[in-house]
Amino acid sequence: MNKIIASLLVLLSLSLFTKKIMAQCDTVANSCYKNITAKYISDGQQYRALLLNKEVAEFSATLFGGTQYRMAACSGMKDGQLVFSIYDKQRNLLFTNKEHKNSPYWDFKVKNTLDCIIEAKLLDENAASGCAVLLIGFKE
Amino acid sequence: MINNIKRISTLFSVSIVACMLIFSSCGENKDEEDIDPIDTNKTNLVNINGTLFSIPSPIQTAILLKQVGAPYNKSLLNNPGKIASYSTEAKRALNLGAYGADLGYIILYQQTQEAIGYLSAVKKLSDDVGIAGAFDAKLLERFKQNMANKDSLLVFTSEAFRSSDSYLKNNDRAKVSSLIIAGGWIESLYFTTEMFSGNVQDKTKLFQRVGEQKNTLDNLIKLLTPYYQEEGFTEFVDALIDLAGEFDKIEVNYVFVAPTTDDANKITTINSTTEVKITPELIKTIQEKVKTVRGFIIN
Repeated sequence: MNKIIASLLVLLSLSLFTKKIMAQCDTVANSCYKNITAKYISDGQQYRALLLNKEVAEFSATLFGGTQYRMAACSGMKDGQLVFSIYDKQRNLLFTNKEHKNSPYWDFKVKNTLDCIIEAKLLDENAASGCAVLLIGFKE
Repeated sequence: MINNIKRISTLFSVSIVACMLIFSSCGENKDEEDIDPIDTNKTNLVNINGTLFSIPSPIQTAILLKQVGAPYNKSLLNNPGKIASYSTEAKRALNLGAYGADLGYIILYQQTQEAIGYLSAVKKLSDDVGIAGAFDAKLLERFKQNMANKDSLLVFTSEAFRSSDSYLKNNDRAKVSSLIIAGGWIESLYFTTEMFSGNVQDKTKLFQRVGEQKNTLDNLIKLLTPYYQEEGFTEFVDALIDLAGEFDKIEVNYVFVAPTTDDANKITTINSTTEVKITPELIKTIQEKVKTVRGFIIN
């Protein structure tokens, strides 16, 4: 009986923890959205993942040729807390914000359509957990 | 064929994993000692095997149609008068996505007299699926005040859909979010494939755009697979898998070319090339199958 109660309490605590993290993700996403300025149209989605320690979130995307994209990547309320890198399907590195002072956003002029993988990880590898948010905007 | 088998096998295994994650009672009853802690990586995030899937915005397709000179065609749109017939959550979510794509198409072609009817349909369906906040009276007002400004209307619409996506993911309803995205994507694919037989001088770009979305279709299937056993999903996902079987026949040749970066302006140009080869027979088959999938959504 005691074990059942203990298990339920653990589940309840974890559920509350998850809710708290989700709320944190929402705050991060709203703050990150400032990087998608009025010149860009949001793709209508919000990509996010809870990262623990050195975990890496992976986003699979297709970027259309002839389009300019803006990607914004955030974790926490300060800029530059998330390292994001873009690879093609052959794992050639196309970009990493690590080489650009962990810039929270970057623009991409895509000449030909590209299937790519976007990886995101927390800057501070000692951080216990954090919400990684990626936003994509585009323009004609 | 091999890819189809792989897809079905992935679908089966992911379904089992998802089922195990979502319903701990799927298998035999567990002893209390066996209760696993919640893995916060696998809660309400759209996250399968550690990967999140991005599906291009339907607005991007509408932009292409306009660029290739495709004329506005009202008959391509789903009739907003049909919303009352969508009685399940799955149908409502799929059609919310489809009407959203229609709205983007209407705005881009500046058919403002149609826009309010479609925005009302979007609002009604968003109320029905419980995301009324994103399409509220304030948005309608902003819309009416900016009717002549196409760019502002596109920004408002996309922002409202992003807001809905966020709300659904926050509230353990990524399933509904996936269906909205799927409905929008299929609707925009339908616009493109219908233009294969439409009044467009150079259709090469349209064929290419369809072929380039092979990966997107695979991503969409992976996005929906965890819910395969749920009401409204099985038949829809099966139809997408069938369509993906045809997309597998498209030849896509990618060549890596080093990108160039302009630090001062924070911009990187992606120079790699992608060539799509698609036969006329395949174009016809894909057009028919897209029509079938879209029919499943709107009827």
